[in-house]
Amino acid sequence: MAPNVVIAPLVVALVTAILTLLARSNGRLVRVLSVLGGLGYAVAVAALVAAVAPLGAARTLVYEVSAWRAPFGIVLVADSLSAFMLGLSAIVSLAAVVFSVLYVDDFGQRLSYHPLFHFMVVGVTGSFLTGDIFNLFVWFEVMLMSSYILVVFYSGAEHTRATLQYVVLNLLGSAVMLLAIGGLYATTGTLNMADIARRLGDPTTYGVAVVPVLGLSAVLFAVFALKAGLAPFHFWVPDAYRAAPAPVTAMLAGVVKKVGVYAIVRLYFTVFAAASLPVSLPGVVGDTPLAFFGPVLFVMAAASILFGGIGAISRDDIDGVLAYSSISQVGFIALPLAIGATVPSVRALAVTAAVVYAFNHGLAKSLLFLASGTVKTVFDSERFGDLGGIAPRSPVLASGFLVGALALIGVPPLSGFFGKLLVFDTAARAFAVDAAGAALALALALVGAVFTIAYFTRAWNAVFWGAPTDLVRAALPERWAPRGPGVDQAVADGGGDDAATGAGGRFDLAPVSTVREIELAGQVAVIAVLGLTIVGFGIGFEALFGAAEAAARAALDTGSYVDAVDPGTAAAVEVGH
Amino acid sequence: MTEFVLAGVLGTLFALGTYLVMRRDVVRVVWGVSIISQAANIYLVTMGGIEGAAPITGGHVGEAYPTDPLVQALVLTAIVIGFGTTALALVLTYRVYQEHGTIDMYELGTTGGER
Repeated sequence: MAPNVVIAPLVVALVTAILTLLARSNGRLVRVLSVLGGLGYAVAVAALVAAVAPLGAARTLVYEVSAWRAPFGIVLVADSLSAFMLGLSAIVSLAAVVFSVLYVDDFGQRLSYHPLFHFMVVGVTGSFLTGDIFNLFVWFEVMLMSSYILVVFYSGAEHTRATLQYVVLNLLGSAVMLLAIGGLYATTGTLNMADIARRLGDPTTYGVAVVPVLGLSAVLFAVFALKAGLAPFHFWVPDAYRAAPAPVTAMLAGVVKKVGVYAIVRLYFTVFAAASLPVSLPGVVGDTPLAFFGPVLFVMAAASILFGGIGAISRDDIDGVLAYSSISQVGFIALPLAIGATVPSVRALAVTAAVVYAFNHGLAKSLLFLASGTVKTVFDSERFGDLGGIAPRSPVLASGFLVGALALIGVPPLSGFFGKLLVFDTAARAFAVDAAGAALALALALVGAVFTIAYFTRAWNAVFWGAPTDLVRAALPERWAPRGPGVDQAVADGGGDDAATGAGGRFDLAPVSTVREIELAGQVAVIAVLGLTIVGFGIGFEALFGAAEAAARAALDTGSYVDAVDPGTAAAVEVGH
Repeated sequence: MTEFVLAGVLGTLFALGTYLVMRRDVVRVVWGVSIISQAANIYLVTMGGIEGAAPITGGHVGEAYPTDPLVQALVLTAIVIGFGTTALALVLTYRVYQEHGTIDMYELGTTGGER
């Protein structure tokens, strides 16, 4: 009795990848297949979410590959946490794939873009679902292998240089991950995450030495931090994000980064939390590995927030600001996790805050990167010096960017407000236990929030407000000829030059005719829909919060995770060596 | 005895790989990465125990416990992945050379940095 719905998203993404690869001689067919695949993936994820949480009662579904029983075979596990992350992945990848069809040039689309994109989605989905630690490594590789080629997609000078750095770093990360996994297998005698948790919970029965597990999990932690782009493993982020095509960057920042976050929550809060250390470490209160990772996470979160914030303020191009902002925002995701790891009484709230923040950042940051992609298409530049005054000429694009920026700043009623609120709430509630630490966390969150306001205000002022530069004047009227209602607006906005060509530009609300106009209008439409989605999640936050709470409960309930994956107990003792 | 030899080999390989990764020449960096990932593979094999009998054929018949065959399956997977990524890294090195006219990390850093 295998719940096949668990593998549905995986199968859909894989089939789409293969079909787009087979159909690559026919550009139009590839696009149709790719978008259909994106839609199918969203439907499959929706079915999975519905199966995991039927009427609010959370379940854990387990798919045993080839019907091999849990500790021996590979299992795919869908619980509320996996379903939550898959939901994010479905929304972002659907938006990104539709945007790609309109954004990437013809030759690129026919080359290999769509198969790679969907293979990346396969890797992400597998990482969210797998219940086997070596299998996690394999899914990481599937995801990374496609992302390497997508980052170097334009293969210019900048792109090859950035990708070389990205590839070498991640290859080293993979080797280190193998070391950690090999060590964990040798110490615990199993690769199944649930089985690891069970053995760590009862080390004497299973003959597990817990102390080496702490060291190995610390090694593994570095790998996940590299994937999530947490300081001090953040330095690949800006170059890689700038090199990749906009929809790919949206996926990298929105979803692929969250795989690292998910892996930290899943392995450290669900699996390694089951252990209790027989030794006490200096400066660590409590005896679980989480008590050790709390301060580590805290330092990394602090460094990410400060470094990313300062970096974003000092950039002079949109993608640079957004990339450094990603580093800072991942710090905001790690901050509640750090507090929750240190203070057990707020742990559930902390994980809820982290996943809500991750969800909000995933949506908002991908929206912003898509908007930046459209700006790049229209003006062939994304430097602040070249841009200005876009807002009156393209109100929908500007509104989309504004929604994304405000969501990250945390303005109600957008979902980002609740994310920030929960982060602050977590820190405030930790006051009772550790006043100094909580005050530090609050101060850090506050400084990070101020940074966020500063760099988005700066980007908004430089790109969307102010006087239009020559480049903006030249680009908009040429591509979007006046079509009635737009003209008055353009003249009113002070562009005296427009009178010379008789052109005014509100391209995103005007009727369109040429292929290029249709593509751009489509891009703007994707941005608008994604912006409305963010507003929708803010207004209907109750449902999102319920899902996030269920995800946090699933992440912290080691016992029921273990029981759902591997109910048998006697058989497991015999497999060690 | 075998343990000591393998431990020595592993240490040497990691040292060698790390040394190469630190070099300025991109090709050497790729060699270094590939040596480190091979070292990780050897390490993974040793994690299954190296003193036991051959699995399946040996079984529990004699005194010796069978060696864990699972790690060898893991290593096979890792080798295949490593092969693919090394090939990609080498092609990428070639493309970097075509684009920049150099494969010196330092020169890449100074000429190809911030736009």
